[in-house]
Formats: sequence, C-alpha cells, structure tokens
Amino acid sequence: MKVLETQNLSKFFDGLKALNRVNIGVEKGSITLVIGPNGSGKTTFINTVSGFYRADEGKVFFEGRDITNKPPYEISKLGIVRTFQIPQPLKKMTVLENLLIAPDGYGESVLNTITGKWMNEEEEIVEKAFKILEFLKIDHLWDSEAQNLSGGQLKLLEVARAMMKDAKLIIMDEPIAGVNPVLSHDMLDRFVELKKMGISFLIVEHRLDIVLKYSDHIYVMANGSVIAEGKEEDILNNPRVVEVYLGASDSEVECGV
Amino acid sequence: MEEVIVTIALWFGFYTIVSLSLNLEYGFAGIPNFGRALAVLMGGVAVGGIFNRILIYAFGVSGDIITASAQIRSMTNDLIASNPVYGVGLLLLCLALAAILGAVTGALFILPSAKLSEDYLAITLLAISEVAFMVCNYNTAIIGGYYGVSTPDVLAFVPGEERMVAFTVVTLLIAFLVYVIVRRLTNSPFGRLLRAMRENESVVEATGKSVMVLRIKTAAIGSALASLAGALYSLYSVNVIATSFSRVEWTFYPFLMLLLGGAGNNRGVVVGTFTFVIVKILLTIYKHEIRTFLHLPFEAVWLEYILFGLLMYFVLLYRPEGLIKERPIFTAPIKKVVAKIRA
Ligand SMILES: Nc1ncnc2c1ncn2[C@@H]1O[C@H](COP(=O)(O)OP(=O)(O)OP(=O)(O)O)[C@@H](O)[C@H]1O
Ligand SMILES: [Mg+2]
Repeated sequence: MKVLETQNLSKFFDGLKALNRVNIGVEKGSITLVIGPNGSGKTTFINTVSGFYRADEGKVFFEGRDITNKPPYEISKLGIVRTFQIPQPLKKMTVLENLLIAPDGYGESVLNTITGKWMNEEEEIVEKAFKILEFLKIDHLWDSEAQNLSGGQLKLLEVARAMMKDAKLIIMDEPIAGVNPVLSHDMLDRFVELKKMGISFLIVEHRLDIVLKYSDHIYVMANGSVIAEGKEEDILNNPRVVEVYLGASDSEVECGV
Repeated sequence: MEEVIVTIALWFGFYTIVSLSLNLEYGFAGIPNFGRALAVLMGGVAVGGIFNRILIYAFGVSGDIITASAQIRSMTNDLIASNPVYGVGLLLLCLALAAILGAVTGALFILPSAKLSEDYLAITLLAISEVAFMVCNYNTAIIGGYYGVSTPDVLAFVPGEERMVAFTVVTLLIAFLVYVIVRRLTNSPFGRLLRAMRENESVVEATGKSVMVLRIKTAAIGSALASLAGALYSLYSVNVIATSFSRVEWTFYPFLMLLLGGAGNNRGVVVGTFTFVIVKILLTIYKHEIRTFLHLPFEAVWLEYILFGLLMYFVLLYRPEGLIKERPIFTAPIKKVVAKIRA
C-alpha cells in the first residue's frame, strides 16, 4: 500500500516547469529515495507535497485521501513531517525548545496553559527530546541558542525536530549533507528501525555512496520530471540516469569556461 | 509629594497592563501591533458606550447618551455610596465587558494579517486604529464624540480625598493580575509557540500549528488585556472622551516602554514601564520649573515629545535588546528532567 502518491503533479515558475507531471509513490514502511542533479525539482516536489507551494496541476494523495493544496499545518496534522534543505532554526530559542514545539497540538490550547495542565505532558516530551538529542550527539548543546550552532549541527537539529513528531511519513531534504559518515549511518540505521515499525520515509539526498544501500525504492529526477525509478541496480545501470548525471557535469564544465 | 507618588503608581498600573499586553503580542509573538490604542479605546467604549447604555436601559432614563450618562452618573453614585457592593459589582461588570469587547475586536482586527507581510500589517493595524479613533471622535452617538460621556464613579463609597489612592490600589491589583496571566501564558508551551512563530512561521506550520489561529488567539488575549486598561482609565476619569485615547499615549508610548525594558521579557517590560512613567510624570508636574531652569525657548510640553522621541531612537540604535535582555525560558518540567539527567 502506498502512503503517499502523486498524480501528474506539476509546478511552474514563470514558465519554468520545476515539476512536470511527476508521479512518485511511497510504499508504507519503506525508505524511498529521490535523487537527481541540482535544480531537478526535488525540493520543489517536497514543498508542493507538504503544502508550502501550490500545485499548478495534478494531485497529491496521502493514505488515499486528496491533500492537494491543503495548508501546511493541515498536512502536518495528518501525519506528514518534513525537514528543510536549508535549516530553519528558531534562532533565538534553545536547541531543546526547537524540539519542544514539534509534538502534535502541543501548546496550542490557551485553556491548558492557564490551568497548567501542560505540566503533566511536558516532562515526558522533554525526556523524549533529550533522547533524540543524545542519539544525534548534540545533547550537550541543549541550552544553547540555535543561532550559535554550526551548519552541520543545524542540519541535525532539522532531523531532530522531525523525529520529535510522531509522523507516519517523514520527508527529509538532504538530511545527511554536512553530517559525518559515522553519524549518517547511525541515523539511517535508526530510520530502518522506524520503518520496521511502519513509518515511511521519503528522502532526498545527494550522497548516494551512503544512502543508496538503505533505500527500498529510488526515483531519479531531471529537469522537473521523473526519468527513472526502481531498485539500486536498476538505477545504476540505467543509461538515462548515467547520461543525466554526466550531462550535468558537462554543462557545469561549459559554465566554467 | 504623596500625590506625585500616587500619580506615578496609578499610571504605572495603567501602562503596565498595556505594555504587557503588547509584550505578549509583539515581544513574544512578533505581531507588529501598531494599533494598540484601538484595544484601549475599546475599553473606553465598553464603559462609556455599552455599560452606560445598560444602565440607561435599567434605569429607564431617556435622552441622548451625553445627557443621559450624566443623569445616570448621579443616580448610580448615590446607590454606590450607600452600598459598596454595587460599586464593586459594576467595576467587575465593566472589566468583563471591556475584556469581551477587546477580545472580539482584537480577533477581527488581526484578520488582515492572513494576507499581509509584517510591514504592511503594521501600517494596516495603525490605519484601522486611527479610523476607529476618528469615528469615535466625530460620531457623538457612540461615546459622545468630542463632547464625551460621563461614567459612574464605581468608588463613590470611598471618601473624596482617598478616592485616588483607592483607585490606584485597584489598578495596581489588576495590573498584577495581568502580569501573572501574561507570565503564565508566556512561560509555557503556548508562549514557546508564540516565540517560534516570531522566529519562523514556516517551522510552526510544518509542525502542524496554524499560524493564523495562533495569531488570532494572541491578538484576542492581548486586546482583551489592553482593553482592561482603557476601562480602568475611563472609570478613573469618570468620563470617556475619544481624544484621550490617542496613538501617542497608547501605542507609541507602550512601544517605547516595551523596547526600553526589553521585548520578550516580562520583567524587563515592567521595569521599562516604571522608568518611563517616572520620567513622564515628573516632566508633566515640573514642566514649568524645568522650562525656567533650562531656559527653554519653547513650551516644556514639547520637551516630552522630543525626549521620548530621542529615547526611542537611542534605544533602537544602541540597545535594541532593552534594559533586560530576553532570556531562554526553562519551565519547571525542563529543570526537573535536566536535574535527573545530571544526577
Ligand atoms: N520559489 C521559487 N521561485 C522560482 N523558481 C524556483 C523556486 N523554487 C525553485 N525554483 C526553481 O525550480 C527548479 C528546481 O529547484 P529545486 O530547488 O526544486 O531543485 P533541487 O532538485 O532541490 O536542487 P538541489 O539539489 O540543488 O537542492 C530550479 O530551477 C529552481 O531555480
Ligand atoms: Mg533541493
């Protein structure tokens, strides 16, 4: 069963087809990978699926239900969490607080705030946050303001916040960019554990050397379209994929001249 | 001297309520509410317009609101003087009316934020506030326009010479209550969400919270609180006139107190308010002495505007974080878990 499925999803920016009739599906309890050269539309796909961009054409289904162009908070409430490729820290708040805002519905009720009912939940949530911070090896930074973190640490903070929310589908935009290989493998091992519990992953990543062996299914994008899909070996042997990756480096060479 | 202290305390009470309400909205939630005066004016409308009409109806007085309210005042004052329970009851009724009208106005008033970015929102809120001010000033049917309306003296049972002290105590009590409420709201997961919204709206939406709903809640609470100050001020003055709800007094000054004290820090804002009020009251009381002493070539009233304008400028330029900087908030459960981990 597919938890997420897009049908001919398209997004245009002033005539640029950033997404062109994209059909991507994520099987429940799988790690699905989306790869492709720079500017191929991967982040645009995430933004459109999660409601941050309006789709110009096509549909997005989550657990069989049409979620196309719903506002981001509604999509999130349904059980989809996403990270941002460019980390979005709450700069003047502590690392711990950056995690504490994540749980569903937590902190929204003014009544619970006035009565102090939240105190009962908070301890458990704080403990969970510390476990995640420990796992990602940034627990020593718990009381630092997020603006003092390095680029790699901010990346981990993004992942940590996503892990805080009990989502059914976790979408991550380059979660291991700038993260050391040992920790990257730990992180992906954890994702494999979570996936066995029925949680699904959609991961966009450039570091194929690390991430490929963890993925169940791979989509390759180029110029806003899906040009190939399949298992690791199907992708690596696909001449179009090879061409796109080589083609990209060709044009880079041309640009450099 | 005693009168000076009481005046300072009274205005400290009024302004603490307003600056804390603004701290909730701007300091924590980042809503650039340049229309704070509107909510304070709503407190005046609740007392001068709604409360008065309830009494006019109850007593069966006829005539326009301006003359009828004067009649009502003398009738209710007699009642209150004979039985303090009436006075306290009517005071609470006024505060409740003000809070409700303030909350409704605040919630509606913030709706344009759905479509506007921060700068445009600030200007729009300022404009809405100004329009409401003009309407209340020129339409004599609401709160008597430029003639104003009378209001009962809810403390008519207190002897004349002690009335001001008594009113100051009441105001400080409400201000303290507002401090407790704002503190409770901000030192909590709700306050955390408000700061998160100020820092980055996308993150808040991505974790499943509607920024718009949070904003509406915040503006409703903030406006309800600010409206209490307007009601208290009206009851203190025993009359309501739109001109006393100017944007300088109730938007610009509260912003100055907040920025001076430290946006996002409730204690800082109280300190900022206190500092501001002392300077302002002393300037008002001793304006002639100051003028003579400094050989000012202009009226000393202008000194107030010049001084506070400059103060705003220097605070923004040299100490944007205010007297007391915003600090991370560690709730009791956080401290408990940290202690457990360290143990
Ligand atoms: N908000 C936007 N406005 C205009 N153009 C955009 C916008 N967002 C993305 N694009 C364009 O859409 C195309 C796809 O961009 P996108 O960020 O989705 O690529 P990507 O696959 O995530 O690349 P990378 O690997 O570098 O992150 C690019 O040409 C980009 O310039
Ligand atoms: Mg990208």
